[in-house]
Amino acid sequence: MNPLELTLGIMTAVGGFVDISELVFAAKSGSTFGYALIWVFAVGTIGIIVFSEMSGRVAAVAKQPVFNLMRHRLGLKLGLVTLAASAISNLITCAAEVGGVALILNYLTGAPYLLMAILMVAGMIASIWILPFAWIERIYGLLGLFMLVFVAALVAIDPPWDKIARGFVPQVPHGLSTKELLTFAYFSVAILSAVMFPYEVYFYSSGGIEEGWGPKDILTNRMTSIIGMGLGSTLAIAILASSAQLFGPANVDPAIPGTAALESAIPFGRWGLVLALLGMFFAVSGAAVETCMANAYGISQFFGWMWGRHKKPWEAPRYTLTWIALFLLALLIVLTGVDVMTLVEFAILFSILVLPLTYLPLLLLAGDKKYMREHVNGPFAKTLGWLYFAIITSAAVAALPLYFLTSGGNG
Amino acid sequence: MTPDGRIKLVSELLDLPLIDSEGKYCGIVDDIEFEGTRELKLGALLVGPGAYAGRLPGWIMWLIDRIAGDRIVRVPMTTVRTITDAVHLKCPGRELGLHRSEAAAARWIPHKGAM
Repeated sequence: MNPLELTLGIMTAVGGFVDISELVFAAKSGSTFGYALIWVFAVGTIGIIVFSEMSGRVAAVAKQPVFNLMRHRLGLKLGLVTLAASAISNLITCAAEVGGVALILNYLTGAPYLLMAILMVAGMIASIWILPFAWIERIYGLLGLFMLVFVAALVAIDPPWDKIARGFVPQVPHGLSTKELLTFAYFSVAILSAVMFPYEVYFYSSGGIEEGWGPKDILTNRMTSIIGMGLGSTLAIAILASSAQLFGPANVDPAIPGTAALESAIPFGRWGLVLALLGMFFAVSGAAVETCMANAYGISQFFGWMWGRHKKPWEAPRYTLTWIALFLLALLIVLTGVDVMTLVEFAILFSILVLPLTYLPLLLLAGDKKYMREHVNGPFAKTLGWLYFAIITSAAVAALPLYFLTSGGNG
Repeated sequence: MTPDGRIKLVSELLDLPLIDSEGKYCGIVDDIEFEGTRELKLGALLVGPGAYAGRLPGWIMWLIDRIAGDRIVRVPMTTVRTITDAVHLKCPGRELGLHRSEAAAARWIPHKGAM
């Protein structure tokens, strides 16, 4: 295990953890329910760690990408359903990230939102075209570390740490009306969906193959998943806690993504605001790139095409055309003028609906001795995996009714 | 496993990726062709959207036909080296016609600018 590679991998995972949906729902959760939803972020984080570790292990041992193995395991018909579901979910998520990053650029520069969306998509296409995989992953991930300003901002406002600590204990606040209880349940489902977006796992496992992981990298994979994603989630929790401390008592509804940046502006002034917006810019851009690449990975792997950015774009031509087309489709969705928050809500809703379908094949593969040999899921990973499968299935069943009953969490 | 060994067709061969002698992915085993009348033997692997027929409902096949066409490439079993978690071929995919779609797509892509 190379310590430098490991450190870089962990830092990349930390910087790349937060995306537009987490940003929005962390801030909204804090202002609406105080610290009471921190535990849902913690539960979701353990879930994404469990499935990322599993997907990295499958990539390292079977040396085949998840979608290749998934089709072989599920067959063409069910495999195609899974592919279609995850492709639509990833596309909507990518559009939400593109809209989000355009909005952040609009805050930073004052330039028109739609023009920023066009320029950003052109910039992101250029970055994937020019840079090899490791650079793409590292640049967006490491620059996303500007988001650490949210942790510093939380420390600076000296929050009630005892209340934050109590937020990690699973709870439902007392004295809520039925309507508020439903909204609390909807927020819980939305946070789980945002933290466990399927694209993260597909990007992570395909990335492992891009970087040539083998069985010797299993420990690196485990540490990157646990430490990187564990620390990454502290960024989201810091946004939630600052929002609970600053926005909740003032009755501020962080209805747009940019509101979260004020959490850093209040203690640190102008530079706090700039750093927060820069962190958000790189983190959300990274998420846009990851969703798009993850989608192209899935489609290419399912049909047995050449894939990956460790190759030159012309060496994997159908993969290249696919990720460019997906970026343009995401841009088209944004250019229709649909509101970013609506896109975020659709991304959350669609992702949670397809989450069981996308994680089940992974669970089956990681538990299959034929592929995994001595690295097959042990009792601990198996128990956690099936427990989380039950959790996300329950959340998927509840998501649609909760969405309609609460008008998308707006009461 | 070797091509002349006993193979559980559906669970072990169908939907496996094909990797050619240059290490390139060049499709998926979409269907299987048999030879012989009394004693059935594996004749070839069928690759391409046309080979989905019979495995998918008619309306999906209609859609796939419009989007991807009905092309089928035959990969004779004599060109298969090993079958593990992928089917490894003895020769480059282009010798079997497996790289036509990639080559067609490559014509749209400029060969410059990437690190």
